[in-house]
Amino acid sequence: MLELSIFDYGIIVAYLGLLFTIGYFVKGKVHNLTDYFLAGRRITLPIFVVTLVSTWYGGLLGVGELSFNYGIVNWVTQDLFWYISYLFFAFFLASKIHKSRLYTIPDQLERFYDKKSRFVGAIFNFIMVTPAPYILSMGLIFSILFGWEPWIGVVFGTLVIVFYTIRGGFIADIYTDFLQFFLMMFGVALVIPFAFLTYGGFDFLTNNLPATHFTFTGTWTTQMILVWGFIAFWTLVDPGFYQRCYAAKDSKIPKKGILISVGFWMLFDICTTFTGMYARAASNAGLLNVESATTSYISIADAVLPPVLIGIFLTGVIATIMSTADSFTFLGAMNLSHDIYKKTFRPKASEKKEMLATKIGILITAGFATILALFFESIVAMWYTIGTVGISALLVPVLAGFFYKGRKSPLAALLSMILGSFVSIVWFIHGYMNLDEWGWPQYICGIEPMYPGLIVSFIVFVTVTFIHVRRMK
Amino acid sequence: MDLAYLLILDAAALIVATLVLSYFFFRDLLRKKQ
Repeated sequence: MLELSIFDYGIIVAYLGLLFTIGYFVKGKVHNLTDYFLAGRRITLPIFVVTLVSTWYGGLLGVGELSFNYGIVNWVTQDLFWYISYLFFAFFLASKIHKSRLYTIPDQLERFYDKKSRFVGAIFNFIMVTPAPYILSMGLIFSILFGWEPWIGVVFGTLVIVFYTIRGGFIADIYTDFLQFFLMMFGVALVIPFAFLTYGGFDFLTNNLPATHFTFTGTWTTQMILVWGFIAFWTLVDPGFYQRCYAAKDSKIPKKGILISVGFWMLFDICTTFTGMYARAASNAGLLNVESATTSYISIADAVLPPVLIGIFLTGVIATIMSTADSFTFLGAMNLSHDIYKKTFRPKASEKKEMLATKIGILITAGFATILALFFESIVAMWYTIGTVGISALLVPVLAGFFYKGRKSPLAALLSMILGSFVSIVWFIHGYMNLDEWGWPQYICGIEPMYPGLIVSFIVFVTVTFIHVRRMK
Repeated sequence: MDLAYLLILDAAALIVATLVLSYFFFRDLLRKKQ
């Protein structure tokens, strides 16, 4: 547990109180299903940027850990590749998605192919947005701050999120995202000048860090960098990106919004990378006691920031995690209510019933994630990799839907999703059945499960399209 | 020049950009209310 002043606790409690207040008052702004799902498709450029930037970034402690251990290569694998992916999304997908005026990625699959593709796509979508890792992180942060048992933090954090998300849907998400965005940016930016004042300038870093911390490849092989880097494909089928494009007021906002967001992420990522490096340098110099690389970000902030500012920083860390957890919970609920309940089983369900189903979906998504976080912690640790199985299922059929102009085969979409993900899952299980001495999975040839899945998905899609479309003629 | 000043500049730019965006965010929200 950290030693904090009463003011710092005051800031954290005020933040949580504001979330409740937003949850309480926002209900009156929801008049119909489009309000609840997409804030009435009226989000303007600044709102788009705020909600995208805050939602997308959920793993502050993970980034701190990688920078602490490896230095600038963290920026290459966790940031640079992603910028390229964002730019591709902005220039080639954003406007197309907005113009389709749908609600979800499975909606797109039905538009391109058929209902079965929607159903299968919705399952993978749900896996990708399960907020279990973020809910578990919330529990850990609350236990560090308040000395609670982690399960209390998990349940408390989930209840807060569920309260405002059920009441206000995407509108509540937008309001809370602003608060979280503001705290995230300030919290992260504040550490850098104080680390400089406490430890010194760039010489302090160069004198206390291995030279590999300053190279773009670090101690990593090119294959490792590429394997990690291309996980950035995630962006191209990320439900949060799609939801914000659908919700934009006009077709120019998504592209402009993503470009501005990239600017924010660039400034933010430089701060997080170098803070992690400062933590490692201070630890190497014997000036900072770091319990683990994972919590090194919190250790350095605690060491350099004065009271009140440490309160803002820690609230920013909570906000970073919560803004992703709430959006993912809501997206998972939309998968259950819109894609599965309404579109697959109850096509004639009224808006009111669909909204009720979404609220129940929020409870199911949050409940499922909480159970995973409380009882299957080891599974949650793997969840990022499990999520990438969703990419191997969705990427090929979704991109082909947007860019392939020929006649489309629903069978090709379905088989590419099923077989691509099947290969990924087998690859994943094989890796976890052959752990190395540190307990990490040893995948075949060191390749992450997403890649063989993507290759199989692509081959199956092309082959079946070729054969099936000829037969359809 | 100490390269760390560039880091401080980066952090300052992030804070300024956040304040500017916050201004436009609230302006849009208030317009909606009207």
